[in-house]
Amino acid sequence: MLKIWSMKQQQQKNEAASGQAKKKKVTAAQLRVQKDLSELSLPGTMKTTFPNPDDILNFTLTITPDEGLYKGGQFNFSFAISQNFPHEPPKVKCKEKIYHPNIDLEGNVCLNILREDWKPVLNLNAVVVGLQFLFLEPNASDPLNKDAANDLMSDRDRFRRNVRSSMGGGQVKGESFDRVLLK
Amino acid sequence: MAPKRTATPPPLHDLPTAKEKKYDRQLRLWGASGQQALEETHILLIDNGSGVTGTEALKNLVLPGIGQFSILDPAVVTEADLGVNFFLEDESLGKFRAEETVRLLVELNPDVKGTAVKEPLETFLAKDGVFTPYTLVLVAAPIEPTNLAQIQKHTAALNIPLFYLHSVGYYAHFSIQLPPAFPIVDTHPDATALDDLRVLKPWPELIKFSQEKTNGIQSMSAHEKGHIPYVCLLLHYVDKWMAENDGKLPEAYKDKTAVRNMIRAEGGDEENFEEAYGAVLKSLNPPKPSSSVREILTAPETQQLSPNAASFWFIARAVQEFYNKHGVLPLPGGLPDMKAHSNDYISLQKIYKEKARQDFAEVTSTVQQLEQTAGHSKPIIDPKEIENFCKGAAHIHLVRGRPLQIAQPGADVKFNDRAKALANELTNPEGLMGLYIAFLAFDDFVATHSPPTTQADGTSSLIAPGEPGADHEADAAKLTGIAHKIVDNLITEAGTRIEDPEYSELKEEIERLCTEITRAGGKELHNIASLAGGMIAQEIIKVLTAQYIPVHNCCLFDGIASRSSVLRI
Amino acid sequence: MAATMQPEAVRPSMNGESDFSRAKWAYLDSFLSRPGAYSDPEMFVPGEIPVKSISESAQILVIGAGGLGCEILKNLALSGFRNIHVIDMDTIDVSNLNRQFLFRAKDVGKPKASVAAEFVMKRVPGCNITPFVGKIQDKDEAYYKQFNLVICGLDSIEARRWINATLIDMVDDEDPDSLKPLIDGGTEGFKGQSRVILPTMTSCIECQLDMHAPRAAVPLCTLATIPRQPQHCIEWAHIIKWEEERKDIQLDTDEPEHITWLYQKALSRAEEFGIQGVTYSMTQGVVKNIIPAIASTNAIIAASCCNEAFKLISSSAPSLGMPGTNNYMQYTGDAGVYTFTFEHQKKDDCPVCGNLPKDLTVDPEQTLEELIESFAARPESQLKKPTLKTEGKSLYFPYPPSLEEQTRPNLKRKMKDLLSNGEQLAVSDPAYPISFRYNVSFS
Repeated sequence: MLKIWSMKQQQQKNEAASGQAKKKKVTAAQLRVQKDLSELSLPGTMKTTFPNPDDILNFTLTITPDEGLYKGGQFNFSFAISQNFPHEPPKVKCKEKIYHPNIDLEGNVCLNILREDWKPVLNLNAVVVGLQFLFLEPNASDPLNKDAANDLMSDRDRFRRNVRSSMGGGQVKGESFDRVLLK
Repeated sequence: MAPKRTATPPPLHDLPTAKEKKYDRQLRLWGASGQQALEETHILLIDNGSGVTGTEALKNLVLPGIGQFSILDPAVVTEADLGVNFFLEDESLGKFRAEETVRLLVELNPDVKGTAVKEPLETFLAKDGVFTPYTLVLVAAPIEPTNLAQIQKHTAALNIPLFYLHSVGYYAHFSIQLPPAFPIVDTHPDATALDDLRVLKPWPELIKFSQEKTNGIQSMSAHEKGHIPYVCLLLHYVDKWMAENDGKLPEAYKDKTAVRNMIRAEGGDEENFEEAYGAVLKSLNPPKPSSSVREILTAPETQQLSPNAASFWFIARAVQEFYNKHGVLPLPGGLPDMKAHSNDYISLQKIYKEKARQDFAEVTSTVQQLEQTAGHSKPIIDPKEIENFCKGAAHIHLVRGRPLQIAQPGADVKFNDRAKALANELTNPEGLMGLYIAFLAFDDFVATHSPPTTQADGTSSLIAPGEPGADHEADAAKLTGIAHKIVDNLITEAGTRIEDPEYSELKEEIERLCTEITRAGGKELHNIASLAGGMIAQEIIKVLTAQYIPVHNCCLFDGIASRSSVLRI
Repeated sequence: MAATMQPEAVRPSMNGESDFSRAKWAYLDSFLSRPGAYSDPEMFVPGEIPVKSISESAQILVIGAGGLGCEILKNLALSGFRNIHVIDMDTIDVSNLNRQFLFRAKDVGKPKASVAAEFVMKRVPGCNITPFVGKIQDKDEAYYKQFNLVICGLDSIEARRWINATLIDMVDDEDPDSLKPLIDGGTEGFKGQSRVILPTMTSCIECQLDMHAPRAAVPLCTLATIPRQPQHCIEWAHIIKWEEERKDIQLDTDEPEHITWLYQKALSRAEEFGIQGVTYSMTQGVVKNIIPAIASTNAIIAASCCNEAFKLISSSAPSLGMPGTNNYMQYTGDAGVYTFTFEHQKKDDCPVCGNLPKDLTVDPEQTLEELIESFAARPESQLKKPTLKTEGKSLYFPYPPSLEEQTRPNLKRKMKDLLSNGEQLAVSDPAYPISFRYNVSFS
C-alpha cells in the first residue's frame, strides 16, 4: 500500500492540476427521496406539486378530503426535506391557517411520526397517510389548537359548525381563518 | 390559544458569567461544585523521561481550569524533545524543560497558575513536608524505585492521590493509588437508573393521589383515561392484582407479567398505558439497596464512627439508621417525564419531592445527633452534602485504595492477595495482564541497568531497554527474561498451573510485548502519549471532583489492538 | 541523556530542497528503523521507507478544526506528517476555549481552520498545513483526490455522510490510489468512538448510521398543551412561540438576544404551569442541542484516530479497519475505563456502499425515452417504471402524476441536453429495494 502510494503520487498531482470538472453526485438524501416518490401511492384526494421539478426535496402536498368533517376543503402542506433525511424526518407545515385540533395557527402539525416516533425506515408514504388520517379523525386528546380540541370534545356539533365556518374563511372565537373551500 | 402576556422582568442574575461561558461545555458534566473542586487543586507532576504523557495530561487539566500545577523536572530541552512535546518550541532548546513547558501550558488558560521546579528529585525528596501543598501527585516513569517508594510513602501518609504513568511506543499504563477510603456520592449513573418510584412501597400521600386519579377508571372518558400518569396506573393495577392474589406483592417474574398483561388488556395502545406496560419489570421491584451500597453503609467507619471522621461517614451512618428503621433508603425524589396533564404531573412531582424532603430532614436530624455525640460543638456538616447523599444513596460508591506496586531491583514482585485473580488474568484473551507484566519488567530493567547516581547537571541517567543506539535485540531478550520470571513467580504465588499450549502461547505473547516495548527504547510516540494523557486527565478529574467512578487501580492501553483493560493489582 | 543521541539507522535526504534536520525526530526515526513484533514483514521495511512515507509522501486531510481537529493537527505534526490540509467553516467562540487549545481569547471570532493551522506550523516548523475556511461540499473530487487519507473530527452527521459518500464514489477499481481510508472520531462527555473505514471495502458511515442515537423528541402537542418539564417550555418557545411572534427574524442560536428572548418566553410559560428549573443555560443547551465536551475525551479520541493513521501510513503495526478485523473502538470513561473494540459489519443493502455507481456509456444524441427503453433490456436492471434523476435535474418521474407531467417533455429531449459528460445518474424502480447509480460518459 505504502509503496504504491509514493509511486502514484506524482500521477495524482498531475490529475489534480488538470482540474477535472466538479462532478455532481446524487446525494444519499436525494436518492432516498427519489425512491420514496417512486413508491408513493396517492389516492384521488391527494396530489403533489413541485414548484421546481428538479428539486425533489421541496414540494407541496394537497389534500382534498372527500369524507369527514373537512370534506370540501383543500389543504396544502409544504414538505421540506433536509440532506439529513432519513436520519431526520421531513419538515411538514400546513400552508393555510385552519381550525383543526392537531394543527396550530402557524401551521405546525402534531403527528407522532413527524417528530418523536420518526424512524429512518419510515417513508414519505407513511407521512402522507398520517396527514390524511388527521382530516378523517381529528384527535382532541393531545391537541395543538386547544380551543378546537375543547370544542371537539365538548360539543361535536359546535365543532362541526366551526369547521365549516372556518373553512369558508369565517371567524371562530374572534380568530379568522383562511378560506379553503374548493369553490 | 391567544398568547398570554406575562410581564417577567429580565432575570439578569441568571445570565451566564464570562467564566460560565468559557466553561459551559464542561459545567454541563460536573456542575459548579465539580468546577469549584478543580479550582481548589494543586497538581504536582514529577517528570523524568521525555515527559510527553504527563504534559499532555496537564494540558487537559489546565484547559478546564484546575487551580495550580507544578512540574518537577531538572532536564534541559534537547532537540529530540521538540519532536514529541508540543509544549516546547525551537526557542526552548537548551533551556530548562520544566520552565518552558510551564510557560507554554499556562498560555492555555489565564486562570491557572503554573510553577517550574528544577531541582533534582533526590534533593526535593530530602526536604520535609514537600508534598503538603499538593492535592494530587503524578509521577512519570522511568524513575528510580527508591524515589518512587519515598513518594508513595509520603503521599499515602497525607492521603494524597498518586498516579504513576508510563507510555512507551504503542503502549501505555497508569496506576492510581487512592486513600484507603475514597467515597463518591455523585457517581452520575444512567438517567434511567435514577428512577425510584416506590410502586411496591408507596406512602399515604402517593396512594391517595393515585386512587383519586384512577377512581372510576372503567367509566372515564378516553381523554381522561389517556392522561392518567403511568405511576398511578401501576399502583392501581398492582392493587388490583394483589386483591386477586391474597394481598401478595407481585415480585416474581410471572406475577409482574400478569400485571403487565392486565395493563395491556385494559389500556390498549394508549400512550400512558404503553408507558406503564414498559415500566412494569423495572418498577415493580422492592426498593432494596445493592449489596455494594449496604457494604458501604455497614463499613467499619460507620460502625465505629470516629469524632473526626469525614462527613461522608456521619451521613452514611445516619442513612444506615434510616434504612434499619424504614427498610428503604431515603427517597431521591425525582420523577421521570410521563404522559399526563400538566397539573397532575406537577402535583405528583410535588408528592415525590415532599417525601424526599421529609426523608432528608430525618437523616439530617440523625446526622446532627451523631455530631452531638461525637462532640461537635455545633453541626458542621453542610446540609447540601446530606441532601446530595440522600438523592444518590442508591448509587454511592467507595474505592478502597490500594498501594502502588513498585518493582524493586533484586526482589521478586509480589501480588499477595491478588495473586490468584491476576494469575487467572494471564490467560484472559480480553485482558492485558501480559502488558502489565512487561511494564513491571521494564521498571526492573531500568532499576538494574542504570548507574546508581544522578548526573552532575541533575538530569537522570536512567537506562531504558532499547535506548536509541543500544542493541535492541539483546535488550528485548533481557526484558523478556525478566518478564517471564515475573509470570512464573505469579503462577507459583497463586499456587496454580497453566498447561501447554496456553503456557507457551502466553510466553510467546510476553516476548512479543517485550520486543515491541524495547523497539521504542523507552520513548513515547506522541499519539499514545496524548491518548494516555487524555485517559489520565479524565481519571484525575474524576478523583478531584469526587464525581463519576475512577479506575481502580491500574489501566493499560494497547495502541496496536486499540483496546484497554483495567486490572486490580 | 537524550542530547547525545543519534537516530541509529536513518538520515533521510529531503530531496535536497530543505535543510530540515532530522535531529528533532530522533525518537520517531529510531522507532521506525526497528522491526515490530506485530508488523507484517511484507508491508513494513524498517528504515527510510516508513520515515519518508510519513514525512514526505503522505498527504492528510483533516475535516474539522474544533475540539478533535485541534488535537488531530497537533498529533499529526508530532507524528512527523508534514503535508496536511484542514477544512472548517466555523469561527472561534468563547465556549471553545475549554478544550480547543490552539485558540486564545484574542482569537474569538476568527476562522478556526486558519488560526489552528498557523499555530501548529509556528510550533512545529517544517510542517505545512493548508487551511480552507468553508464547507466540505465546496470542494470537488479533484481536491479530495490529492490525499492519501482523511481524518474527520466533526459533530455533524450530515457532513460525515457527505464525505463518506464522496469517498466511496471516488473509488475506481482500476486505480488503487482512488481508495482513501476514512478515519472518524466523535465524543460526548466522557465517551467517544473512533473508527476506520476503507471505502467500498468495509462497513461505512451509512452502514453505521444506527450507531448515532437520534435526538429524543417530545410530541408537539405536549409542548403546546401539556408541558411538564422545563425543557418542554423551552422547546415551546423555540418551535412555536418564535414562529408566532418573530417569524420574520431568522433565529440565530449564537445571538444572546435571541436566546434571552426564548429564555424569557420559556420562563413565563413555566411559571404559568408551575414548572421549575428553566435556566438560561438549559435554554441554550436545548435550543443549540449542546453536547458536553471536554479536553481529555477529545485528546483520547483524536489520538486514537491519529494512531490509526500513523499505523496505516507507516505500516509499523496493524491498524484497525482491515477487512475482517476490528474497525470500531468505543471508549467509555464515566465509570472506570471501558473500551469495546469490534468489527462493525458492512451492510449489503447500504444505500451508499451496497450500491456502487457503475459506468454507463450513453449516446449524447439519444433521447431520454430511448435510454429508458434500453434500460428495460439491461440484464442487471430490467426496470419497469424507472425514475431518473441527476443531482441537479429530475429527468423523468413516472410518479407522482404532477412530476410525471412536468418531466414528460424530457422524454423527447436528447441526452446531451439533459446532462453533461461525467455526471451521475440515479435510477430507482419500485421493483428494486435499492437505487442504481451510473456515472455517465458520452460515446
